[in-house]
Amino acid sequence: MGLDDLFDPAGIAVIGASETPGKLGHDAMANAVAFDGSVYPVNPSSEGTLFGERFVGSVGEIDGPVDLALLCIPAPVVPEVLEECGKAGVGAAVVYSGGFAEAGDDGRQRQSRVEALANRFDIGVLGPNTSGFLVPGRNLLCSFVGEVDRVDSGTVAVIAQSGGVAHALAFQAQSEGYGIAAMVGLGNRVSVGFEEAIRYFDGHPPTDAIALHIEGTADARGLLETCRAVETPVVAYIVGRTGVDGFAASHTGALTGDWDLYRAGFKQYGVPTVPGTTTLLDSARTLGSQPRPAGPNVGVVTVQAGPGIIIADRLCAAGVPVPEFDEATADRLSEYLDGLTYAANPVDTGRPSPAFGDVIETVARDSGIDILLVYQLYEPSVGYPASALDSVAEQLDMPVVLATDGPEPGVSDAIAPLEAAGVTTVRTPERGADAVIALVEYVRQQRRLQEALPDG
Amino acid sequence: MAEDPIARARAAGRRTLTEAEAKALLETIGITTPESRVVEGVDEAVAAAEAIGYPVVVKVSAGEITHKSDWHDGSGVALDLRDESAVRAAATEILDGLAQTGVDGAILVETAVETDRATELILGAARTPSFGPTVLLGLGGVVAEALDDVSHRLAPLTEADALEMMDELRGRVLLDGYRSQRPVDHERLATAVVSLGELLVEHETIVEIDVNPLVVGGGEPIALDALVVLEG
Repeated sequence: MGLDDLFDPAGIAVIGASETPGKLGHDAMANAVAFDGSVYPVNPSSEGTLFGERFVGSVGEIDGPVDLALLCIPAPVVPEVLEECGKAGVGAAVVYSGGFAEAGDDGRQRQSRVEALANRFDIGVLGPNTSGFLVPGRNLLCSFVGEVDRVDSGTVAVIAQSGGVAHALAFQAQSEGYGIAAMVGLGNRVSVGFEEAIRYFDGHPPTDAIALHIEGTADARGLLETCRAVETPVVAYIVGRTGVDGFAASHTGALTGDWDLYRAGFKQYGVPTVPGTTTLLDSARTLGSQPRPAGPNVGVVTVQAGPGIIIADRLCAAGVPVPEFDEATADRLSEYLDGLTYAANPVDTGRPSPAFGDVIETVARDSGIDILLVYQLYEPSVGYPASALDSVAEQLDMPVVLATDGPEPGVSDAIAPLEAAGVTTVRTPERGADAVIALVEYVRQQRRLQEALPDG
Repeated sequence: MAEDPIARARAAGRRTLTEAEAKALLETIGITTPESRVVEGVDEAVAAAEAIGYPVVVKVSAGEITHKSDWHDGSGVALDLRDESAVRAAATEILDGLAQTGVDGAILVETAVETDRATELILGAARTPSFGPTVLLGLGGVVAEALDDVSHRLAPLTEADALEMMDELRGRVLLDGYRSQRPVDHERLATAVVSLGELLVEHETIVEIDVNPLVVGGGEPIALDALVVLEG
């Protein structure tokens, strides 16, 4: 089962497409028609057109290539329709409806039938019980949630166990103007699970990082091994801290819960874990867009003292060093800053002067600094030190993160060109620190994995 | 113990190894346990104590008794016995308890390890359906237990992973010789953690191991008690 039919189809059948707004088959079709390729509304009891596409009676009657079927139909009819899809040569399907393994014995039996059909016809089934997926770069909007077309194309592939969380992440990215490379809600994982999706997006050109939301899987070891095997950086958010399995006969058993093991295992297998959806996206964006730092040492430049202290405090508490500068840097900084503000790390520049850019470049060029983190409260009359940030990012091949707050839409407009130039931007001092912490964790874990290999 | 303790427990239809069997298994992977004898009678217990040298610890030995110190009004474990009469009394109580409860068991006599200024740890291993073999290291003793201060890794693991587990403990300063405590040799402890992980990887019938407490009073970690649970 390849997933090209699912995530890179030539044509899509929307089965159960409906003319009634609010019905799943209507709302899914409203999104699907944005697709670059052919989209066919399928419904034996409808005639005419829907969003400009002519209704077809069944998937077998479609005249043209169809790789992907979106099943906007109730659970009881899913097996027979999936069989029709299989006979028509459709290679992938999204099953939106609930009423499967999550819903008692009948549901479990129904899911077994779906699984058997998926195997028999080699159909990659996403779901059941999911709100679908998005690949904005191809206008592939296989979700029934309204206005998902507003989600831009970005660099992070979000793979979530829950379709709801997947959409929440996509819209968080959208509301801050970052976009995503893809978003997938896995649901019940009949044939497309974490491992299959991770491997697919590892080879997906627009994807530079993978963000995982995990509630629990039957084969955690396999998931960890897949994460270690892929080249694309992976970040994970694991939910379920309070749940502990009841299998224990010993003290050790009672103290060994899945949440702890996911955290430990991901650390061991080279995947930073984060405590929430916001950090998940920020960390994945940072890992995807920034170069790997040579070390963990962060130079912090801040225009306002307070946010800089928050950042330094948070970095230190997480074991990320904010070291003293070397003598040459210290001398140059006191020259630029004229002794008015704090010239050690974190550097407090005061309200940006013409020397702001020089301060940033001086800190970045310090012999002991590997990562640059700048905080600035955005003032429209002053703007961002774009040329200094760009030149650090380009010439020093050093990770550069800008944390900022300020009036909207001014901030969004002003950070867009910085993002385009390779600077990762986040809102709030804490998020700036957390993004850098994830980057440092990732690099430390990867280095240890390399050292653990027999001969490099 | 020439015989494979796992095979012996299986043959006897037990899901748990006796403490002596569990400790023998730990010795095979280089984890030190106190010198000990398993005996049947009171006189033999005294003879074992004389041979090992006082002070000694006397415990009930039976695969089905996994919480020895709670067993039979606390008569399952008698610590720091310094002479013959103390050993005689403890051994008699254990035999009485076994007779009353109808449990088929024996008496374990072992060297009382000096625990003054030593650090008590819990070292464990657990196999789970989703993760496979895993290990755990934490601070032992009542307070640490209450604080749930433990760190986990999947097995097999490297020495670097094991050292990192120590760093993750909130009470890690206690390992470095806090106040009058004797510092823990991190490398030797790491070796023990790695070995326990390997033991679980190699023996697929083992589902859980408790080494609690593992006492470190200087150089080598010593397993004062051990529980090994086999697949049901």
